[in-house]
Amino acid sequence: MPTVTIDGCKVEVEKDATILDAAKKAGIWIPTLCYHPAVSSDASCRLCMVELDRGDWRQLVTSCNYPVRRDIVVYVSSERAQRARRGVMELLLARAPESQELKVLAERMGVTETRYPKVTESQRNCILCGLCVQVCDEIIGQAAISFAGRGVDRTVAAPFRQPSEDCIGCGACAAVCPVGTIKVRIYQDQQEVEISPFKSRAKLLVCQQCGAPVVSVPVSEQVLDKVEMNREEFRERLRLCPRCRQLQTAAQLGAIMVQKK
Amino acid sequence: MTGLGNTRLCGPADLERMRQELLSRRVPSAKSVHVCTGPGCAAKGSPKLYELFCAAVSQAGADVQVQAKAVGCHGLCEYGPIVLVQPGDIFYQRVEEPDVAEIFRETVLGGRLVEHLLYENPATGQKADTVDKIPFYKVQKRIALAYNGLIDPTSIEDYIAAGGYTALPKVLNGMGSEQIIEEVERAGLRGRGGGGFPTARKWRSCRQAQGSPKYVICNGDEGDPGAFMDRAIMEGNPHSVIEGMLIGAYAIGSSQGYIYVRNEYPLSVERLKQAIEQARELGLLGQNILGSSFAFDIRINRGGGAFVCGESTALMASLEGRPGEPRAKYIHTVESGLHGKPTNLNNVETWANVPAIINRGGEWFASIGTEKSKGTKVFSLVGKVVNSGLVEVPMGITLRQIIEQIGGGIRDGKHFKAVQTGGPSGGCIPAEHLDARVDFDELTKLGSMMGSGGMIVMDEDTCMVKVARYFIEFLQKESCGKCTPCREGLAQMLHILNRITAGEAEVGDVEELGVLAELLEGTALCALGKTAANPVISTIRYFRDEYDAHILDRHCPAKECRGLFRYEIDPEACKACGICMKNCPEDAITGEKKVPHVINQEKCTLCGTCWEKCPFTAVLKV
Repeated sequence: MPTVTIDGCKVEVEKDATILDAAKKAGIWIPTLCYHPAVSSDASCRLCMVELDRGDWRQLVTSCNYPVRRDIVVYVSSERAQRARRGVMELLLARAPESQELKVLAERMGVTETRYPKVTESQRNCILCGLCVQVCDEIIGQAAISFAGRGVDRTVAAPFRQPSEDCIGCGACAAVCPVGTIKVRIYQDQQEVEISPFKSRAKLLVCQQCGAPVVSVPVSEQVLDKVEMNREEFRERLRLCPRCRQLQTAAQLGAIMVQKK
Repeated sequence: MTGLGNTRLCGPADLERMRQELLSRRVPSAKSVHVCTGPGCAAKGSPKLYELFCAAVSQAGADVQVQAKAVGCHGLCEYGPIVLVQPGDIFYQRVEEPDVAEIFRETVLGGRLVEHLLYENPATGQKADTVDKIPFYKVQKRIALAYNGLIDPTSIEDYIAAGGYTALPKVLNGMGSEQIIEEVERAGLRGRGGGGFPTARKWRSCRQAQGSPKYVICNGDEGDPGAFMDRAIMEGNPHSVIEGMLIGAYAIGSSQGYIYVRNEYPLSVERLKQAIEQARELGLLGQNILGSSFAFDIRINRGGGAFVCGESTALMASLEGRPGEPRAKYIHTVESGLHGKPTNLNNVETWANVPAIINRGGEWFASIGTEKSKGTKVFSLVGKVVNSGLVEVPMGITLRQIIEQIGGGIRDGKHFKAVQTGGPSGGCIPAEHLDARVDFDELTKLGSMMGSGGMIVMDEDTCMVKVARYFIEFLQKESCGKCTPCREGLAQMLHILNRITAGEAEVGDVEELGVLAELLEGTALCALGKTAANPVISTIRYFRDEYDAHILDRHCPAKECRGLFRYEIDPEACKACGICMKNCPEDAITGEKKVPHVINQEKCTLCGTCWEKCPFTAVLKV
């Protein structure tokens, strides 16, 4: 197993593990935004830059996707690596100045303000990390959203920037969004869920007892195809929200107890 | 055209027989008229000239041995359309439709020169009747462009008769993979697409990489503004690229190749398509090539108009049908490229050099050039130079030789200011380095690069800040937007450069540009972003005073940035004709008959109308 020396600290990792994996093992924090263990590394945000020792020179590399194949020496807290990461963060802060999540991360990196003005448009603080796009494609398998436009016009959108027919309203994109751009909105009276800002909507299954939303209809149908259990039983379960189901179970148990007495 | 029936060639002997047969049909005294149909000449109407020559040939009757040929770019685009009459290498420039009959009558039939169509050296007034007497061609050395202007690019027979497809049988006849790679290594061939990576090393890594199938790719996505080197090769001699790819594929162990051509080059696509079909018919592509067990075929893919697709990983993504965005190259494409398989990508010019290397040997190739840059390089020489065009020069030639000897110096008697090499990500080199040698490492040392071969010459009237701004704007528009530093950093750089050229900059803006430049170089994902700041860094390095003048004095020394210079009327030169006064949309000019006019600077909006209209050049930019 190759050894990675990070800021003097030695750790052994499996071949083809990343520098970020090694750093985690060593307990060394490297800031990340577009990295998520569930999806492949795109290395697009460039926030996780570290310095790699190349012998007579040092190269800045992204730690989230640099594969360790032999013994290497890297520097996370070197002056140049920090300057690179902070520089990238300043650019992101200029793009998405209202994101609280980004501010918190920036402060942890020692960046309290950005020298740059806001010159690029963003959809509600979107930093274009692409995690939503990847999770929708790689994990959910729907690919309902993707990148549209080029350069500063790049955005995340459904085809033709219209509400997507492929969106199943699962909310996985909102769950992975590191800057709180994507939101799941419940429209109780219409019994619909909307994934904002894409305006994709899906019907909701609501609790037959209390009317609370349980899960979106397309998600329930997808899950139905995947679970190994009696379909009728599963359908029955989805009739109630988790809380009402608990209450129902408690009531049934109570009735049994009474009978036994 | 040949009557040979284009039957499949079952072995090298068949190919040689075909070549001899083609040569034996040539009548030594036969004349041929070569009409350049390269991009420059074609734009000036040369295809029509070709038609007229064809008509003249058919009217001349069977007893006159003459043919007309549409050939690829001849290089001296400035003087196009170019027509050559062979044998004799007689060079006619700026040929127009009415000249066709005269050339045909006088030169083709009569063997006399048409004086007024000959090239005249502007410096000496001397006329040149043949190619080798024209200074533009004298210091050039042609390897990649060797057949350009000689052969009909639509005819495989022409290529074969000229000695094409002689390197292929040589490698099939007993050269092992390693032997081929060693020959290319001896040649010292480095990638002509910009990176300058040793070609042999790339081939060897790909050959040794695990995985199958292996792919070879020709990068014809030439996107640099003002560049047309690869286009000239693809359109002027497509078979040289195919032969190069065949040899590379054989050495690497690949049976599938792709040529990625930008969609804006429809003629390149057409020529390559035709060439591939011809090669297939003769059994030079496909199964059992020349009777051997080697199989290889080529597909053409057209680009979608994205500059970034010239980057190898973006190109491969595009080939796979995904958006053309680059990815990290920590695992090289020779190991995991197209569809995750070992892939060897070379540029058009690199491939076109391969057959010559195999034929004449690596040592011969290495005898040309400098210690670490061997062979020749094709440049498209454009800008404020007298002879703009396509040139191929030995490595190690100085920039001065290219600009002054080949290019004929600066237009309109102006002074040279800088030359921009390496495309948008290259840098500007000032006069003090004109004696620098053109080689990969020298140019990098000067803060520029070889790039794919764009060379833009600028004169004293060019504002270097504006030049930097132009390239940053180009790159910002062409950035795919995937990575933060390139997308956001270039937008920030452009924002600062806009302020400087508008006279709204602050002290410290140049330093801010430096900070952004370092950030981009260190953190951007692909070469586009990593090198994007080069135009800014190199102009700051050599022309810092121009930046300072914009920022501190609110003045553009080259008088290009609107608002950063004034218009004034020279009282000595003013003839008081009143034209400026009449045309001024703001009524900012006052004057009377016989009294020199004056511009009221308060009212002047710097539109420049007076400067354009003055027939006595009495309106000055100050």
